[in-house]
Amino acid sequence: MKLKILLLLLICGIGTATYSQIKISGKITEPGDPSGLPGATVVQKGTTTGTAADIDGTYQLSVPDENAVLVFSYIGMKDQEVRVGKLRIIDITLQSDATLMEEVVVVGYGSQKRSNISGAVSTISSEEITELPILRAEQALQGRTAGVQVAQNSGSPGSALTVRIRGISTINDSSPLYIVDGIPVSGIDYLNPNDIESINVLKDAASSAIYGARGANGVVLITTKGGKREQQGQVSYDAYYGVQSPWKHMNLLNAREYAILANEAHIAAGRAPLPEFANPDLLGEGTNWQEALFQDAPIMSHQLSFTGGSDRSLFTFSGGYFGQDGIVGGAKSGFERYTARINSSHQVKKWLRLGSNLAFTALTRNGLPENNEFNTPLVRALNIDPITSVRKYDGTYNYSVYADTDIANPLNAIEQTHDTWSSNRVVGSAFVEIELAKGLTFKSTYSLDATYAKQDLFFPKYDLSIDTTLRDAPAAERSVTNTVVKSDYTWRNWQWENVLNYEHTFNTRHKIGVTLGTTALENNFVFLTGSNTNLPTNNVLDAYLGNTIDPRTSQGAGDGISEASLLSYFGRVNYDLDDKYLFSATFRADGSSRFGVNNRYGYFPSFSAGWVISREDFWKAEDISFLKLRGSWGQNGNDKIGDYSFTTIVYSGQSYTFGPGEIITNGNAPLEASNPDLRWETSIQTNVGLDVELWNGKVNFTGDYYIKKTEDMLSRVPIPLVVGVRSPFQNVGTIENRGLELSLQYRDKVGEFKYSLGGNIAFVSTEVISLGKGGEPIVTGNVFSAGNVSRTEVGHPVAAFYGYVTDGIFQNTEEIAAHAFQNESTAPGDIRFQDLNGDGIINEDDRTFIGNPTPDLVYGLTADFQYKGFDLNVFVQGTQGNEIYNGIFRYDFFYTNRPQSSMERWRGSGTSNFEPRVNLNDPNFNARASDRFVEDGSYLRIKNLQLGYSLPQSLLGKLQIQKFRVYVSAQNLLTVTKYSGLDPEIGTVGGALELGIDQGFYPQARMFLTGVNLTF
Amino acid sequence: MKRKNIITIGKSAFVVLLFLSLAACEKDFLERNPIIGSTLDNYYKTESDAVAAINATYATLQFEMTPAGHFRWFWGDIMSDDAVKGGSGDNDQPQLAALENFQGPTNTEYLEAEWAADYEGIYRANVVLEKVPAIEMNEQLKARILGEAHFIRAWFFYNLVTIFGGVPLADHVLAPSEYNMPKASAEEVWALVEADLRAAAASLPVRSGYPASQLGRITKGAAQALLVKTLLWKQNWAEAKTIAEEIINSGEYTLVPEYKDIFTTAGENNSESLFEIQYMSESGGNWGYNSNNEGTFANVFQRARGQFEGYGFNIPTQDFVDEFFKEGFEDPRLSSTVFREGDQMGDRGLFTKEAVGGVNVFDFYPKKFFNNKAEEASFGDPNPNGGTNDRVIRYSDVLLMHAEASYHAGNEGAARQSLNLVRDRVKILEVTATGPALLDAIYHERRVELGLEGHRFFDLVRSGRAVAALGGLGYVDNIHRVLPIPQSQIQATNGALVQNPGY
Repeated sequence: MKLKILLLLLICGIGTATYSQIKISGKITEPGDPSGLPGATVVQKGTTTGTAADIDGTYQLSVPDENAVLVFSYIGMKDQEVRVGKLRIIDITLQSDATLMEEVVVVGYGSQKRSNISGAVSTISSEEITELPILRAEQALQGRTAGVQVAQNSGSPGSALTVRIRGISTINDSSPLYIVDGIPVSGIDYLNPNDIESINVLKDAASSAIYGARGANGVVLITTKGGKREQQGQVSYDAYYGVQSPWKHMNLLNAREYAILANEAHIAAGRAPLPEFANPDLLGEGTNWQEALFQDAPIMSHQLSFTGGSDRSLFTFSGGYFGQDGIVGGAKSGFERYTARINSSHQVKKWLRLGSNLAFTALTRNGLPENNEFNTPLVRALNIDPITSVRKYDGTYNYSVYADTDIANPLNAIEQTHDTWSSNRVVGSAFVEIELAKGLTFKSTYSLDATYAKQDLFFPKYDLSIDTTLRDAPAAERSVTNTVVKSDYTWRNWQWENVLNYEHTFNTRHKIGVTLGTTALENNFVFLTGSNTNLPTNNVLDAYLGNTIDPRTSQGAGDGISEASLLSYFGRVNYDLDDKYLFSATFRADGSSRFGVNNRYGYFPSFSAGWVISREDFWKAEDISFLKLRGSWGQNGNDKIGDYSFTTIVYSGQSYTFGPGEIITNGNAPLEASNPDLRWETSIQTNVGLDVELWNGKVNFTGDYYIKKTEDMLSRVPIPLVVGVRSPFQNVGTIENRGLELSLQYRDKVGEFKYSLGGNIAFVSTEVISLGKGGEPIVTGNVFSAGNVSRTEVGHPVAAFYGYVTDGIFQNTEEIAAHAFQNESTAPGDIRFQDLNGDGIINEDDRTFIGNPTPDLVYGLTADFQYKGFDLNVFVQGTQGNEIYNGIFRYDFFYTNRPQSSMERWRGSGTSNFEPRVNLNDPNFNARASDRFVEDGSYLRIKNLQLGYSLPQSLLGKLQIQKFRVYVSAQNLLTVTKYSGLDPEIGTVGGALELGIDQGFYPQARMFLTGVNLTF
Repeated sequence: MKRKNIITIGKSAFVVLLFLSLAACEKDFLERNPIIGSTLDNYYKTESDAVAAINATYATLQFEMTPAGHFRWFWGDIMSDDAVKGGSGDNDQPQLAALENFQGPTNTEYLEAEWAADYEGIYRANVVLEKVPAIEMNEQLKARILGEAHFIRAWFFYNLVTIFGGVPLADHVLAPSEYNMPKASAEEVWALVEADLRAAAASLPVRSGYPASQLGRITKGAAQALLVKTLLWKQNWAEAKTIAEEIINSGEYTLVPEYKDIFTTAGENNSESLFEIQYMSESGGNWGYNSNNEGTFANVFQRARGQFEGYGFNIPTQDFVDEFFKEGFEDPRLSSTVFREGDQMGDRGLFTKEAVGGVNVFDFYPKKFFNNKAEEASFGDPNPNGGTNDRVIRYSDVLLMHAEASYHAGNEGAARQSLNLVRDRVKILEVTATGPALLDAIYHERRVELGLEGHRFFDLVRSGRAVAALGGLGYVDNIHRVLPIPQSQIQATNGALVQNPGY
């Protein structure tokens, strides 16, 4: 044994320097096709010595001695290894590796062959992750796995994504648990996507129940790249550069049209039109603010990695840089990320293995206000009138004398914004693994996830109203004081995990696996903030806290701290009989400091079973090479309920004044009742699934149907006021999700043309079953010009749109008289709202549900084509059946711009039955929340289109290069949607119950990229 | 022993040790309370905790508006014959208009806010009464704090019982199982009010017993005065008279020489002030929840609109103004109570109808919550930062209560003496009437002396005169002597609360 290791080390060490002595030749073929596999490669294991088969599939290679091992490989085929020994002619028939069922899937605290899994687990491989240049790791989940919905919270660089596994399952936080190399992490924005080996999504309760109180929203398990055993040292360089630009402008009024409508609106309101609009034709096109706002912006990424492994040590070093500017504001919404990673493991003794993973990330993100209708550049650019020019004659920024205060010149506002978030994060772990006996191992892992972040904010002093010939600039164009705010945030989370694993096969038929473990983890958060106003200088470089004349009046400070802890015991038993009958049971007990004293521990069981029918003797359908039925049931918890919700905080600031000088004297009192019974939200899920493989892996199909019920959902149920304090959170609500997930993959080749087609689709319906006693609907989604537009109510989906139903336009006064009373000033040309309760008055009781922001179905389609060195990849993704509330336009102001469709307004009987008259005052409140603003948000998007070319192996072998590929790629090339706004892909914009509301959404850019992959 | 076995044992022992060490620290590991700030469990340990707790109880006295708060003048004046709602028109707070005509809906935000504020104050008083006794501290201070808590709890229950009648008797911090508390009878509520006030009177210092820095704290005199009011409701004339005389004889209070000085900023906490809710203009408070606001909205609500920058509520009626002329001359207090056209509205200008603006202009505007522009907040929004204290109980009220109690107790001489003390201050003829005419004179005096201070509706109900005075507005005696229990609270308790009869 020792000798063998020594030899292998020698081979590795000497590598290419070895003198060639033995000539080997042969032919590489595939089953049922003697014509040979051109381009298949042969490499001497542990070296760069290798060659590629020629057009007939034949090859020749020299190796130093008979101990050499040859590795034969071809894309889509399983690698085969042959020891040279006495052989001089080695003909080889490679077997297809297409059978997905043989892949090893990472599951909670272990791994399993896919064919033996009885839960619902989806996998995304590193090839899929790096196929399209993704900006954040979450993006890799989008459209790739059935049942995982991913949407951008914003198109601004570095912004977060909303990830929902199997729909929204609570009115609170529905985001999944992320585990990276066994470490639970708060968000995965720190990960360099290139470092990821695989992502596995645990969707059903049986798979995620081993994570107990944290598993209810599904679990995303991410494994980063390590070295491979006896892998020759490898250096990879991956880079791309691209240009981003907006893919759409909204169709708005031009200056002429704006003036026409302004004139009509004045007359309708009984006021004289503005003299400067007397001849609209003279005004022409005016300013196109969207053109002024958007810009092309660069994006680039560089990554260098080193991997290698002997039979005792494996390692990966990698370093990466990613930089992206925004299409709005350029560097003002720019994002940069530096990453470094060291993963290594070492077999110290035969029974002892040690290892560590260490990742460091430094990122910087500049922010502009986003997704609100008050101060975002987007809303301002879409609402500011087209009359106003971007700049005055003197070159300074202009401002609108028409548009109301909120609608500042967006370009000026961007220039005045200084908001930088930067963080340094270390995620690391070290483990020791001991083999106690054959099949029995013990692993102890300690990990740390520490983030040190800071935010620098500076609000300068500025005033654009210098031009005395104009009116004073509105408030948004003026800032009379300047302020600097600097905040420090520290998150420090550690975990210590101990796991005992036992695997054994009895009588070759009974395979048993047992896992037992404990986890202790602690989360700490500290923040400290300081501010300083009225700085004597107004330069962003002088924006520091000490820059003050009088610290007493100008400086302020604040801080906060919180912590939480979790202590858990868990176990799992797997039993497989003949690889045909699969059983698994898990149990976890989670003790959490977030739970009230009366419910300190939660207990989460799960069971699953599978039956591989195709392995039965009676199975004769040879076309169906694999068929498995699965079923599972389990319970999970959601512990994202706040750190201290169970207790009653005594608040200060409950003051009163005493004494002749009216001295404000502090008082302290509780404002909320406590709830010692507070506990996790419980999710109970049943899953049935089917895995089918046809023709030895050419076709793979997976289908799952589930019913997921979240009970004990946290909500503040109104308590009687007699209690004297606000109601505490209580475990009261219930939500049910039902869904169907299908995914299909087809792979084949015709000669040298290889292709694969894949698609997945997920249907999910969500219904609020209960919101506790009283069941008061939860009203959210404030749109300033319309009021609250979202409502979460029993019997309906979460945060559905709620408002009035329009019924055309009143054409004349008779129609108004004949209809229910709307308003004293309702006039012809105003919108007729339906009198739903038939009481003759249009009021709040006539509102109803008018749309659902959650799609009925989410899908993704991929197509891969390879021919010789060329590869082409198309990735399409979309949603169907969701609505968007278009809250972009400030109808609470008149002098704002409007969509071009406003020109179709009512101007007299019969002129329009959908676009109301214009009026300065909107006395009929046509802008109220109604189906008028609810639009179809379905879309189909060509997320990625990529064409690559790899240099042939024959050429590379001489250059001692393993892979050299160049590619061009387009992202968000085409979006098909009926939505009129700038981007239909809208994630959570505010709280958990603010869904699908467009209030100036920062659109995703269209990108054209070119890149290179080099490995040697 | 073989080496391999030793290794195996060693490895196993290591594993067992790891598991054990984890389990050992379990309990402490999972106990996590907020690190900054206090919780109900770790607070109320020191003297300063006790002081902060009672201060927070005082804070609820200031609560106005929604979601928890009240204006005494909403009920006391607007619902009486002294004032109408006002505002910018019928659509301005229509719920108030409906209430003033006794056609009120059974749920308005104002009823709810009244209910909520009362119980929030009661809760905080209960916290003090439950937590402070166990604190090791100066016993004298502890007694005072408990006395203050008893008074404030009594004050809020007094509001509840006079506005709603019988209500849930939350005389302790409620456990979740008690949330759906049914109503107690009005008698039971009155009994608690009485007991609390007696306890407060017994332990609170007299006004002069407080250091100047504590001005604004509840005194023995305040507790006694509210007790007198309570006893008048209970028609316990003899004891009301006795306790009123204890206040009079305490020497703590004298009438302010000039009536017009009472309601000025300089007149805050004056020599005739027994119970005054403190407000200030400079707290920088804002619209929204009351807790961070030390100012009052009463100033802006009661100022005329237009040039005077108010909302024009609580508009005095002609009937009210006429009362000042009942004795054949203009009572001098009218000009301190009501603005009439042509009057100077402080530094805000002359009251003309033009200056008030085009719509909904009234002949009279209330004066007792008027503040000058110069007295407005120098920063923040002046609207929620009115500085005028709410004079809840004045010495003249005590004298008139004494007169009323003495009359009913059969001592007309004492009644006339107290009544005339109030009249002497404004230098009008002393009353010499006897019998029912004397009682009428006392009632007249209350309406004039205490006009627009939030007393009228309750005085009418208490003395059985409401039908006569308010019948024309729709008042029906066995219904409208109390307001409806907020419908939302009946729902919130699953019907454990029962609506008042007639609503």
